[in-house]
Amino acid sequence: MSQLIIETENLNFSYTKERKDIENLELKVPKGSIYGFLGPNGSGKSTTIRLILNLLKKQSGNVTLFGEIFNANTRIKSLSKVGALIENPSLYGHLNALENLKIAVNYRQNIASERIEEVLEIVKLTQAKEKKVKAYSLGMKQRLGLAISLLSNPELLILDEPTNGLDPKGIIEMRTLIKELNEKYGTTIFISSHLLNEIEKVCTHVGIIRDGKMLYQDTVKSLKQSKSKNMIVELEVDSVKKTIASLEKINKKNTVLEDSFLQLEVGSKEEITFLIDLLRSENVNVYQIFIKNNLEELFLSLTEN
Amino acid sequence: MIALKYYISSTKNELIKLKRTFAFWLTIISGLFIPLIYFLYYSLKYKSLIPVEGVNPWDKFMVEQIRAAAPLLVPFFIVLITSLIVQIEHKSLGIKHLFALPVPKWSIYFGKLTVVLLTIITAYILFLFFILIVGYSVGLMHEELNFFSFTPNFSESIKLLFRSFIATLGIVGLQFWLSFRMRNFIIPLGIGMILIVTGLIIYRSEESLYFPYGYNMLSLFPIDKDMENLLWFPRVSIYSLLYFSGFSILGYLDIKRKNIT
Repeated sequence: MSQLIIETENLNFSYTKERKDIENLELKVPKGSIYGFLGPNGSGKSTTIRLILNLLKKQSGNVTLFGEIFNANTRIKSLSKVGALIENPSLYGHLNALENLKIAVNYRQNIASERIEEVLEIVKLTQAKEKKVKAYSLGMKQRLGLAISLLSNPELLILDEPTNGLDPKGIIEMRTLIKELNEKYGTTIFISSHLLNEIEKVCTHVGIIRDGKMLYQDTVKSLKQSKSKNMIVELEVDSVKKTIASLEKINKKNTVLEDSFLQLEVGSKEEITFLIDLLRSENVNVYQIFIKNNLEELFLSLTEN
Repeated sequence: MIALKYYISSTKNELIKLKRTFAFWLTIISGLFIPLIYFLYYSLKYKSLIPVEGVNPWDKFMVEQIRAAAPLLVPFFIVLITSLIVQIEHKSLGIKHLFALPVPKWSIYFGKLTVVLLTIITAYILFLFFILIVGYSVGLMHEELNFFSFTPNFSESIKLLFRSFIATLGIVGLQFWLSFRMRNFIIPLGIGMILIVTGLIIYRSEESLYFPYGYNMLSLFPIDKDMENLLWFPRVSIYSLLYFSGFSILGYLDIKRKNIT
């Protein structure tokens, strides 16, 4: 395995005594990866990010960033290589985008002021740079937040729900940007999200969290393979009754979803052709048949009891 | 001196954040408030205010205004400006962002505190400036007030203003900590108001020397001999500075280890 940029060992944290919010979390984010941190709302994604950045005091365990244990002595050195966008971006509404960026440049030493125009260009806000942030839409604020985290050309970019509030076009642009940063500059990107398809489209690695516990952590590729033995397909037919009858003949279990939709499991793609032939021979009209995203199934089965 | 660099850039940023805020305007309004009332007072009632031959009209004019600010205006201004300045950060969810930056947390805390102090000093300077402008303006309107025959006694009024300023520091330390700690701006404001009123009620007692919210009154209306000799640093000023350092350090240590949610 290549070098790890973020590594947590035995991380524990609770807001209250009654409940553990993060339990023995072992996070491993390899260098150069796009790591999707996936989990339903309230599963501890933001809490984990805050623990990584030391905004919350962990009860036990270690956080290692760039191969060094994160503590008071390494804090400034490590953070100087990190750009973070934590939940709702921190922006001064009474100032414009330029002033907001200027403040961020002042805090981090050694950033050339030309960089401001560059990042504005990257997130496509050059036109709106003189406008007060108060008047920005949620998506624009999100993009400005991203611009601020990009100012220092970070080695590690931490994005907490980056597509929140973005429109479909904005989501696609964000996805392209993330891939580009990763490919061009080798930036390691850590994204948290509760949307599976978002993670699936862009990430190389995935970690799934529920109730503060890591349920699964590996590459997206092996996640897909782990479930590829069986596929779930959904089909639309004219008569559900006839279909069920035909399926019973070959002992195929199925679930009726709604009106004319059925769902069943098949072992391989060849089996789909076989099914169609079977149904057609019984005079069932098949209107559509499609393979369900099995990651989604996995995600749901992992995150729901 | 890397530490100094952090501190300066943090303070500079806090000044940028003040742009177009109410805190900025409040500083100017507070400096202008009493001189404006005195402008009306002196231009309407000038007949009863004509000084006796040979008396410097500036003495009464300046000392009265400085004293008028002590019981309520100054403490309320301190409580308000402190809350407002910290509120800029809370409103923009800024603290989590600032504490995830590669800068020491102390530079954030003390940079902001410095700007609070700078706005207070600015308000005091504006106050003195507006007093002079008003004095000369009414003097121009009513020559018999004799404002042009005498020069203002700066040494005494500056000493009074200085004592008043130093006396506010104890409150600044505590109010700043409270405001930084609590996202809800009403809580530090409410606590401040109650303690100011308490200070007004008890400032005549000996024990008020230990209660910082009464210090502004004590610094201008001394109740013991030690204070009557108009020193630059009476006892109350020393206590105020001690409170300020104590609260600032405690506040920082508290904020530093606080969970930022």
